[in-house]
Amino acid sequence: MSATAAILCVTAFAAGVTGAWSPCGFSVVETIGSRRAHLGARAIAASCATFALGALLGGAATFGGLASLGALAVGGSGAGALVAVVAILALTALGELLGVRVFPQVRRQVPEPWRRTLPLPLATGLYGVLLGFGFTTYVLTLAVWALAAIALASGSPATGLLIGLGFGAGRALPVALMAPRYATLGRRLEQKMAEQPSLLRRLRLVDGALLVAVAVAFLAGGSASAASRPQLVATNGTDPSRAGSLLAYERVDRSAAVLVDGDAIAQRPADDVAIGGRYVATRIGATLTVQDRTSGETVAQLDAPGATQFAVSDRWLVWRADRPGGGDRLLALPLPVAQAVPAAGIARVVAGASRREAIDRPALSGDHLAYAAATRGVSAIVIANLKTQHRRRVLATRGGQLSQPALDGGRLLYVRSSYCSQQLRAVSTGRLGSSRRLLRIGSNARRDEGHDPGYTTQGSEPSRCPRGTPGRTSTVLWSTALAGRVAYVTLLRPGAGAAAPSARIVRVRF
Amino acid sequence: MPDRGRRSSRLSDALAGGTSRRGFLARTSGWLLATATGAAALQAGTDDAEAYHFCGHTYTTASCPHPTGIPRVDLHGYPLRHRDGKPVDDLGRPIDRHGHPLDEHGRRLTDPDGRPLPRAPRTRICQDGIPDRYGFATQVDGSWYRCCGGTVRRLMDCCGYRQTRINGDTALTGYCYGGRRVFCVMYFQTKVPC
Repeated sequence: MSATAAILCVTAFAAGVTGAWSPCGFSVVETIGSRRAHLGARAIAASCATFALGALLGGAATFGGLASLGALAVGGSGAGALVAVVAILALTALGELLGVRVFPQVRRQVPEPWRRTLPLPLATGLYGVLLGFGFTTYVLTLAVWALAAIALASGSPATGLLIGLGFGAGRALPVALMAPRYATLGRRLEQKMAEQPSLLRRLRLVDGALLVAVAVAFLAGGSASAASRPQLVATNGTDPSRAGSLLAYERVDRSAAVLVDGDAIAQRPADDVAIGGRYVATRIGATLTVQDRTSGETVAQLDAPGATQFAVSDRWLVWRADRPGGGDRLLALPLPVAQAVPAAGIARVVAGASRREAIDRPALSGDHLAYAAATRGVSAIVIANLKTQHRRRVLATRGGQLSQPALDGGRLLYVRSSYCSQQLRAVSTGRLGSSRRLLRIGSNARRDEGHDPGYTTQGSEPSRCPRGTPGRTSTVLWSTALAGRVAYVTLLRPGAGAAAPSARIVRVRF
Repeated sequence: MPDRGRRSSRLSDALAGGTSRRGFLARTSGWLLATATGAAALQAGTDDAEAYHFCGHTYTTASCPHPTGIPRVDLHGYPLRHRDGKPVDDLGRPIDRHGHPLDEHGRRLTDPDGRPLPRAPRTRICQDGIPDRYGFATQVDGSWYRCCGGTVRRLMDCCGYRQTRINGDTALTGYCYGGRRVFCVMYFQTKVPC
């Protein structure tokens, strides 16, 4: 979780706790707590649990929904959204610090008959949902309105859920704390809350301070969202790979390979470089060399004509080469190689053997190889276990392109391109249905209006890109690397004719 | 499909309704009506067309989703750029005959190794794209030719067994056969002068 996300979550939690001073907050504590003698401790615990669950669901629904709405309406956070949100945060923070009356106020209470007509756990569950919604009953802090604005402007359902769950937890905590011990602790706290306005005042000061912190975090990050912004790692760099704390990439002009470990930067002559596990692999001309990173011992060296992109792990070296008859293929070599054996002789083809496919840069994590392969009709990402030779097509699309995978343990990073946008996405290989967008830029396509000049726009809708889609760019999301929750991607401006390509590497934390 | 042609089609459907050889009679009455109203249709065509979203298309069925916008395709249904008829891939990038993407000047785009950028898929708009996106089979049944920009243009209906069209409302019979209806429309630009 990023620092911004943590501050946002704490702010939402504090706003939820402040809600305990509302008529509904008091009522729920009393409703559950006063029934202990009749229903017993187990029923009280169940009621507290259903209330907490309802509050979490309600919070997630409201703020997650607002964020989803924001994604549809504004397509995510931009500079305009940042300015608007920071302005709202400043105003609401000032209001909280000065202790102004909450406006606009929602003068509604939860339905009282429910606690008489429904089983208590059910009634409290429903009360929880209503209180979790945030705007169906009294609002005790301006922070709730500010959080709603943030969720809407972020356009990020993850940010909305974070706020909603924080808010729901904040609403649930006072009830869970006071209701089971209502006869003792509960009543004492209730009395203090009811008779000492300074407690609420202090809590609102905390809310105000947290809102200021959120605004500062947004301004520092340059976005009204908890999602991390890309940070420049290297100019004139491409094809990143990462192992431990070491990052390797090569200069776009092939003048050197660069190895970065914290503040230490080393360069070595090489056309291409890749690191993985304890090895570093380099290519000079047609010769691939694999060395131990710490001892410098050469563990494999071979001639690999046409090899331009490769990956290395503790157990394998995999490289891409042209396939006879067209297309690409991947060859794999187990590591280390006994010095007496010619390395090229024991390499085997692991992809592109039987049909013509466009295969881009391979990625390795232990025995697992990930690669993207495109035919005329379909683009797919395949993960193969080089040890068992079992392979699985994990993602596939028609009408778009999947490319540039990177693999780290159970996480897969890849680029998804369509005629509307290019996206850097991450997904757990165990839950492929829920990928996460880390970065989005416009597509490379130059699109027309969808209708002839002078003709009506009616009928051109199906080919239009969604609102908020970034504008066209000549930049291509290119090679990637993944280390835990840090993703690297090359932003490539392709060469054309005499124009040389240029590239830079950025990092996105998620 | 031209507006007048569609009206004729609906009228012929009505004339043939209730018969056991409905399809044959519908087509026959359609041809007769089209012949009878042909001259008027040709005269009215150009002005009517400007009310719709691209030249030659004269009804409200929307375009098939296309990588660059206006749904221009080649004779096989693969996407072409409306502006200049250049082939494009599914990402909307102009491509060479091997499928490698090109820049606006027709030069191959290259990666830092000097290799061409990888090919992306290129799928047929109606036969592949619609089934993938909407989950049902479609095909091109019939079409209609009109003069657009000095050359003959073939307006093609993408047809499927669906009661609703891509717009979300009721689909029309158009030039679809065998119980299929028009889901979306596209066109092929011939080189025949007119």
